[in-house]
Amino acid sequence: MPDTGRDTFEQEALVHLDVVYRVALRLAGNEADAEDLVQETMLKAFRAWHQYQPGTNAKAWLLTILRHTFINLYRSRRRRPETVDVTEVERFTVFREVQDVDPEGTFFDRLVDDEVLRAIDALPEEFRDTLVLSDLEGLSYAEIAEVTDVPVGTVKSRLFRGRQLLQRRLYDYAVEMGYIQRRAP
Amino acid sequence: MSDAPRRLDCRAAADRLYEYLDGDLTPADEAAVRAHLAECAGCFSLFGFESAYLRFLDARARARNAPPALKRRILDQLLLDPGDADSP
Repeated sequence: MPDTGRDTFEQEALVHLDVVYRVALRLAGNEADAEDLVQETMLKAFRAWHQYQPGTNAKAWLLTILRHTFINLYRSRRRRPETVDVTEVERFTVFREVQDVDPEGTFFDRLVDDEVLRAIDALPEEFRDTLVLSDLEGLSYAEIAEVTDVPVGTVKSRLFRGRQLLQRRLYDYAVEMGYIQRRAP
Repeated sequence: MSDAPRRLDCRAAADRLYEYLDGDLTPADEAAVRAHLAECAGCFSLFGFESAYLRFLDARARARNAPPALKRRILDQLLLDPGDADSP
């Protein structure tokens, strides 16, 4: 007799609950919505478990469901992150500014986790999602392409710009807090 | 394929910055970037700085896990749900 898949669901899907929760927290922006989002995601995943191909990437599959659930149900409730003029994202300007005083970027380590997470949350959405999946959760370019439903080339470009934009904002914040002196003009 | 890596200028090396640091380049492209870094002090420093930045991001935000109460709620919910039992 075939079981309901409860056991395999627990073994293959529920083990990724922490990742799903952390990504949900970044998407939703607060703990209450993140928990609702995770619960809804896991229920949808459980009901669709027969569509999952055993041995494929359960984490990416769950994160895809999470993202769709967020877009359908929650995004309108969240303050929309700003859109960004891409010309704002200039390349390597932070390094040019710090290369004489802090070429190894030690000022980053003075930023505390909450400051970094706030800066990530404030990124434009498509940059934020890509960066969270890559740099906080360690997904590969191919996995991120699957979850966010864009080509790998788009993932690379968003990641490049998202990392540069975040770096610029963290640097500006570090200057403001006195963690590093801005180079004299 | 020749033994010597392809030559890249600074711009071309910088275009491959994150793919290089993420380990996502083909072996030939990776060798070309590495060869450029060996002879260009400016790019070598830039790549070192960006590598430190990625290590810094990696060290952040992994600490939080789903609250135990949420895990229990989900398990309870799954027990009550018929799930995909009706599916083939």
